[in-house]
Amino acid sequence: MTAYASGAAAIDTVARLRVMAAGVRGARVVERVVPAPVERVWALMSDLEGEFGRFQPDMRRVRVVRVAGDRVEAVARSRWGLRARLRGVLRPGWCWLQSRFLIIGMAAAPEPGGGTRVALTGGVRVPGRAAVVPLGAAAELAEAMARLEARLG
Amino acid sequence: MSPVAGEDRGIALARAARAGNTLAMHDLLDHLTPYIARICVPIALADGPDATQEALVAVFRALRGLREPEALYGWVRAIAVREAVRVARRAARAVPAELADVPERGDPQLAADIGDVLARLSPGHRAVLVLRDVEGLDEEAAAAVLGVPAGTAKSRLHRARSSFRKAWFS
Repeated sequence: MTAYASGAAAIDTVARLRVMAAGVRGARVVERVVPAPVERVWALMSDLEGEFGRFQPDMRRVRVVRVAGDRVEAVARSRWGLRARLRGVLRPGWCWLQSRFLIIGMAAAPEPGGGTRVALTGGVRVPGRAAVVPLGAAAELAEAMARLEARLG
Repeated sequence: MSPVAGEDRGIALARAARAGNTLAMHDLLDHLTPYIARICVPIALADGPDATQEALVAVFRALRGLREPEALYGWVRAIAVREAVRVARRAARAVPAELADVPERGDPQLAADIGDVLARLSPGHRAVLVLRDVEGLDEEAAAAVLGVPAGTAKSRLHRARSSFRKAWFS
C-alpha cells in the first residue's frame, strides 16, 4: 500500500472521494489523469496557503491556523471578500474541508497506466447541510481542474 | 458478536452525518471502510475493492434515509453483502460449487491458499459463509440478509462447508 491509498487500505483516495460525493446531495466529481507523478501533483494541491488558492477559482487567500495530526483548520477569503473558516482533514492524496458555506474535496492517486488520477468535488454548501448548490458547481470544478493542469505545466 | 470496535462512535457519526456534517461523514467513511471490506473481499475476491467501493457509495447515498442510526451495522452489512454478490456475479466469476471441482489430493492447486477454495464457490455461497462464520449470524438472520428462505441458506452453507472439508481434508 502506498501513502496515497486509503488509510483503511481497501480503496484508493479517488474512490473515497466518489463515496463522499455520493453522500453530498448535488455534488459532482471531476476527474482527470495528469501526466505527472503523484508526489508532485499532491505537493501542489495540498499547498493550502500557496498553490491551492491559485487553482481554486474562488479563493483569494488561505491561512492555515491550526494543524493537529491530519486535522487542519484554515481561514479562507474569497475573491468576493467573504471569509470562511474551513475545518477538515489533510492526508497524502486526500483533503476534505468544510465551512458553513463551502465544501471542498480533493484526491490524487497513482494511475496504474502512469501519471496521477486527480479528482475534485464540492462547491457552495447549503448552510449546515450535506449538500452543495448544484448551480454552477460542475463549471467551477472544471475550471479548478483546468487551472490545476496549467499549474502543473 | 460486536461487528466493529467503537460501535457507539459509528452510530454517533452516522447521526451527525445524517444531520449534514460532512466531517462526521468523512470519519464515518474511515470507520466503516474496514468493516465493509471484511464482508466484501471474501465474497467478491479479486473484485473486493470494487465491491467495497460500490457498497460504500450505496451506503453513503442512502445514509440520509437511514431511519434508525442504532441499526447502522445491520443495515450496512445487508448493503455490503448485496453489493458484493452483485459485483462478483457481474464479474462472471460466479462458478457454482461442484464438489467434483474441488481439488483432489495431490492436485497442485490444493497447496494454494484458502482463497483458491473460496473462488470455487458461487458469490451466494461465499456470502452465506461470511455471514455465518465471519459475522456470526444464525441461519435465519443470514437468510434474511440474503433475501432467501432459511432452507436455502442452510443448504448453501452445508454445501460451502462440505466443499471446504473436501478440499482441506481429502
